[in-house]
Amino acid sequence: MDRLQIKKVWVDRKVESRPLTRQILERLGGCHVEVVDSLEGVLRAIRLASDPVGESKKNLYLTEQLSFIRPCPCSPGCVSCGYWNIDLDLNCPFDCSYCVLQSYLNYQPLTVAINRDGLERELEEFFQKKGRIPIRIGTGELADSLGLDSITSNAIFLTELFRGKEGVWLELKSKSARIQPLLEVKPPANVILSWSLNPQAVIDSEEKGTASLKERLEAAAAAFKHGYQVGFHFDPIIHYPGWKEEYSQVIVSIFKIIPAEAIAWISLGSLRFPHRLKLLARFRFPESMIYEHEFIRSPEGKYRYPRPLRLYLYEEISQIFSDYGAADKLYLCMESAEVWQAFMQKIKRGRRFIAFPFPWLS
Amino acid sequence: MKFKTVKISEIDRQDHRFRFNLKPVDERILTGVKEAGVVQPLLVILREGRLILVDGWRRLEAALSCHMEELPVFELESRMGDLGAFQLAFFINYTQHRFSLAEKALAARRFLEFNLPAEEIIERILPLLELPPLKKTLEILLEISSLDGKSIEMIHRKDWKQATAELWLRFLPEERNWMLRLIERLTHNQQHELVETFYSVKKLTGVGPEIIVREKGLDRITGSLRKGESAAFDRLLAELRKITSPLRSRLSEEISEKIKELKLPLKVQVDYDPTLEKPGLKISFEARSAGQLEEIIKSLSENFSLNNWDSIFQLLNYRGD
Repeated sequence: MDRLQIKKVWVDRKVESRPLTRQILERLGGCHVEVVDSLEGVLRAIRLASDPVGESKKNLYLTEQLSFIRPCPCSPGCVSCGYWNIDLDLNCPFDCSYCVLQSYLNYQPLTVAINRDGLERELEEFFQKKGRIPIRIGTGELADSLGLDSITSNAIFLTELFRGKEGVWLELKSKSARIQPLLEVKPPANVILSWSLNPQAVIDSEEKGTASLKERLEAAAAAFKHGYQVGFHFDPIIHYPGWKEEYSQVIVSIFKIIPAEAIAWISLGSLRFPHRLKLLARFRFPESMIYEHEFIRSPEGKYRYPRPLRLYLYEEISQIFSDYGAADKLYLCMESAEVWQAFMQKIKRGRRFIAFPFPWLS
Repeated sequence: MKFKTVKISEIDRQDHRFRFNLKPVDERILTGVKEAGVVQPLLVILREGRLILVDGWRRLEAALSCHMEELPVFELESRMGDLGAFQLAFFINYTQHRFSLAEKALAARRFLEFNLPAEEIIERILPLLELPPLKKTLEILLEISSLDGKSIEMIHRKDWKQATAELWLRFLPEERNWMLRLIERLTHNQQHELVETFYSVKKLTGVGPEIIVREKGLDRITGSLRKGESAAFDRLLAELRKITSPLRSRLSEEISEKIKELKLPLKVQVDYDPTLEKPGLKISFEARSAGQLEEIIKSLSENFSLNNWDSIFQLLNYRGD
């Protein structure tokens, strides 16, 4: 089971007296606390550690965020799925070898925005301006949606903010199994609890600190039983000897406990990473073999599996979902138009347009 | 600081404690010293009755080459500590030229040896060296500075980036020794490509570079590479990629073979995306008259009906591992 390992809490003087700050400090108990005027002092402490990325995950910074909502940037040259992000937390307490945040966040500590009232205001405006297009929005891009929930209770806060909002689907995406608070409220129809899934062998070797596959699936089953719709993300799919059997077992396990109708969406994405991450993570995870797989350098500069292999992975996995009548819940994450096109030929369905492949949401 | 003229023999040339500049004496310095003598005084300091050179190694070597016996020097106050003297040497050089990674590594080691606190090196010196102010960076520099002389010389001469050096550090000393002889004539980019490929091969197979070359029967190619045959680099890389990129290597080989089998007219060129991201073929040809154009199109059309072009598209659209 995932467990928080906070070494020190740094409190931005601006939020020192806020009730949420007090609440978080109380929940953390005897943690060493220092009030600072800026992030610089925190970063200094992190930079002086031999493993600054690892260190960034042990330091918690409570501060203000200037703005929260932004469209998901996707990847240049890839087909966007039209997702939106809420950046309420930054960085993640889990330590996945493939995680792009290692190089993307520049040693940013685990950061919690205390000024949630700012998000409330921003969301009100967002709901008014969004028009009639269905929106999927989530907190799992620059953080794990539930990674710090045991101290922030952000999941419940967000769930209540989105309750009853039409045409907007809030996704709480996680590798954690800590959903108890969400099981204590009436589930809103537009809140999707979703899990990133990988075979247990991959979780053991590449997803340090996260909940086991069994725990994630049990949490998903509990969420479904309580009335939530759930989502799954097979991202990154990792190619290794025996991958097909192991991914197949994961999918079979899902449908043993959750019917296809309860699943809102399933994303597929294969292992990809920028050059900077390869330089960094190869040595942070010397036992991991994932950076020695076969890659091409794609036009946007990321390393990816070659297209023939990516398509093979997607098609084999989608075939298994088809067997369970769930192929129409699938979409690809950060893929090229060529791959989308080739993939769509295999799972034909009426899509309105490629950039928003979720006709079942409207 | 006193200015004076000293005999070269008075300078202890064995004591390199302040040296981190790896640039060799070049023709320009030699010519300058030959024509005008050593105009800029060297920097020395007295330690245990001996004059130790703080800065001016290249001028000293040039003077020796020109058989000079005396040199102008600034002698630092002997009460100045080694750290103070080294800081002078560092900043004199800092204003004059860009340091290589090897020089940065040696400078970091000297600072640490002269008891500059690690935190100060990280926060004050590393940014001056255009390196990220991280403890990890300092640790890598110290590792680089502990490498054997030949590795340091290569890192300096070929102006290696930190990424190449980090990979280099992951090999055993005997593996580095073997690779040094193999890559010494290559450019830095080629060296990086080969070092990275060998790193992956070693991780994938658990076998070091020399053994893998022997096991795969690549000795002849490595022999050619050592002799400086540039084509051997591409051949060796292609062979190693059969291990690191087996899918693409196999498909590319098969596609190239099928294209060869088409026996296209000489003026027709067939290309495909070597990354296999785009599944199409690009066919180009040059015609200098309408007649020539007609002839090429006709021969292409005949070729199309006689040959199995479909097999190429099947390979380009392959799905599998």
